[in-house]
Amino acid sequence: MTLTLNCPNCGAQAVFRSPALPCRVCDYCQSLLVRNDAGVSAVGKAAALPFDVSPVRIGMRGRADGIGFEVVGRVRWAWTDGSWNEWLLLFQDGSYGWLGDAMGLFMLLREEPVARVRAKALRRVIEGGEAVPGVEAQHGGVKYQVSDARDVLCIAAEGELPFTAPPGWRVYSVDLKGPAGECATLQRDRDEATFYTGRYVLLGDLEPSGLRAIEGWGMPAYAS
Amino acid sequence: MQADAIPPRPQPAVRALNCPSCGSAVTLRAAGYSVTVGCPSCGSILDVNDAAVKLITEYHEMAAGLDIPLGTRGTYDGIEWEVIGHLDRSIYGAWPWEEYLLFNPYYGYRWLVTDGQSWSFGELLTMTPGYLTYDTLCIGDMEFRRFFAEREVQVDRVIGEFYWRVAAGERVASAEWAGPGWMLSRESNANEVSWTLLKLLTPAEMAEFGVSGVPRRPWPPPPHMVSPHRAWLGTGLKVAGAALGFLLLLMVFFAGGRWSDAGWFPVSAGVTGEQTVTIGPLRFDRPYQRVEIRAEVPRLENGWLDLDYSLVNRADQKVYEAYGAAERYNGVDSDGAWSEGSRASQVSMASVPRGEYDLIVEYRGNKWDGGYQQTFDGWMDAGNAPRVGILVRTGGLYGANLIVAAILLLLPLLWGLFRHVRFEQARQGESDFDPTGAAALFRTSEDEED
Repeated sequence: MTLTLNCPNCGAQAVFRSPALPCRVCDYCQSLLVRNDAGVSAVGKAAALPFDVSPVRIGMRGRADGIGFEVVGRVRWAWTDGSWNEWLLLFQDGSYGWLGDAMGLFMLLREEPVARVRAKALRRVIEGGEAVPGVEAQHGGVKYQVSDARDVLCIAAEGELPFTAPPGWRVYSVDLKGPAGECATLQRDRDEATFYTGRYVLLGDLEPSGLRAIEGWGMPAYAS
Repeated sequence: MQADAIPPRPQPAVRALNCPSCGSAVTLRAAGYSVTVGCPSCGSILDVNDAAVKLITEYHEMAAGLDIPLGTRGTYDGIEWEVIGHLDRSIYGAWPWEEYLLFNPYYGYRWLVTDGQSWSFGELLTMTPGYLTYDTLCIGDMEFRRFFAEREVQVDRVIGEFYWRVAAGERVASAEWAGPGWMLSRESNANEVSWTLLKLLTPAEMAEFGVSGVPRRPWPPPPHMVSPHRAWLGTGLKVAGAALGFLLLLMVFFAGGRWSDAGWFPVSAGVTGEQTVTIGPLRFDRPYQRVEIRAEVPRLENGWLDLDYSLVNRADQKVYEAYGAAERYNGVDSDGAWSEGSRASQVSMASVPRGEYDLIVEYRGNKWDGGYQQTFDGWMDAGNAPRVGILVRTGGLYGANLIVAAILLLLPLLWGLFRHVRFEQARQGESDFDPTGAAALFRTSEDEED
């Protein structure tokens, strides 16, 4: 499955590990690469990632719901009052999910087909409307509440991705929270909407190995 | 897999920047997460969301010394935390308290909250507590009773870094619930509701963060402090109960003193009427005592012995009387051999005053012929040498002693209860709601009017 191509910009090796992840950022020149039938083409340039102290890094492995995963990509998002990471997890069964890394909390999310979304408050967003914080929306038997709704901006990306994430890409993002730690995100850009559901997790519950070492801090007890 | 082959260099932990207002160095300890920094030197609020540091609000004040300087590390529950931010908060300037933001890149954020006396360790909840009743919330089997009604609280001063855009004057609605050792705090604004679980810390736990002199018994006690008298009271009640029970047992079984063998007297054969013996002098030393008299008739069989006792005070001839009988029968019927009754009889006289006494025993032996006119004397046959033994002892249950013991045992318990109630009243004194549990006991009408 793994396909190794050369970056058309700098010639460095670019590895594509899954057909589900046709995009990646060149590790060397930060070119945004897209794999296609003809090979690979550069569609733009990603910005350098700003300095952060996230304990997650590309190459970290772990296990969620009994399936092993590896962190293969990241998108960094920002809004007027903060920024956060979405880490892309490639699971051993070929599926992928996201590990949200915001404000010291982690969210494990999987994409769900937008067509499955029935809640009125969310359908309105999918069709171009806005969401109001506090509004309830039921999905999959969980009574969510809109906790946040705002424009967010992609500021940087690295590794492999299921979509191109050019800097300056603006999406409307609605965060939802359930009563027992469930969470969901609905994102909509000019073209389409995507819906993610999942739950809050503790990093230690993911049995992580290969965490990022951070100067002056001992590795946590949960690191294997 | 190259990532595994060469371990990457550790990520630097801090980002250094300069305050655009006063120029002093500011250390960013949670780079990538932090949005706002209050300059520790001049108090100006900086925006560090982007690579370029922007000045939001300019202040020119000397930052007052903090109990825990920013950058201090301490360990709680086995995890190391670094103090990265500090907030002064209040209810419109009154009832001030302080909050320190703690950070560990592998565990996220926590809080140290203090009202100046006691300290709590706070963690943001990712789930919503459930309502058990209108005034009680629960998380699993932990219960929290409402304590502070919702009111608006504000931020008065910001030092260090925070993961949201915080500024002096920021206001949120806040309500609190308290349980034994824990508090639950709910903060909400137009967009968001957040719940924080706070655990009361011990002075030793705060010493880990370099804070000394935390009172072990702060007064008034914080809302989530467990009354130290409660456990004492519980143990005290058990101990007192056990002691009283033991005392009772002791009195019932051993308190009477020893039986004194007053004498053995023959029982005449045949129906010869009453026989009388006088035993004495008997000396009773306590102001009042219970006197027990026991008669034993070893040969008694199919008959009875009537016993009339008169205890005569030698000084004033006052008489205390009692009647007893020992009877025993046996026989054979369709069910086989049977026997009933006892060869002994015991009587007692309560509250006999101190003094010297003579015990006059009038007794009369009887035989039972089972309905047949038997000519022999049965158990009273002279060849049988029937006799009766009289034994005397004083004592039995001394109610007065028991009451004194009970009072002595209960006194410290009452003192404990008083302290417990006082503690609970002080603990709940600040609450916006009516007192419950021990604090609701012994309320004066003055309290009711509050």
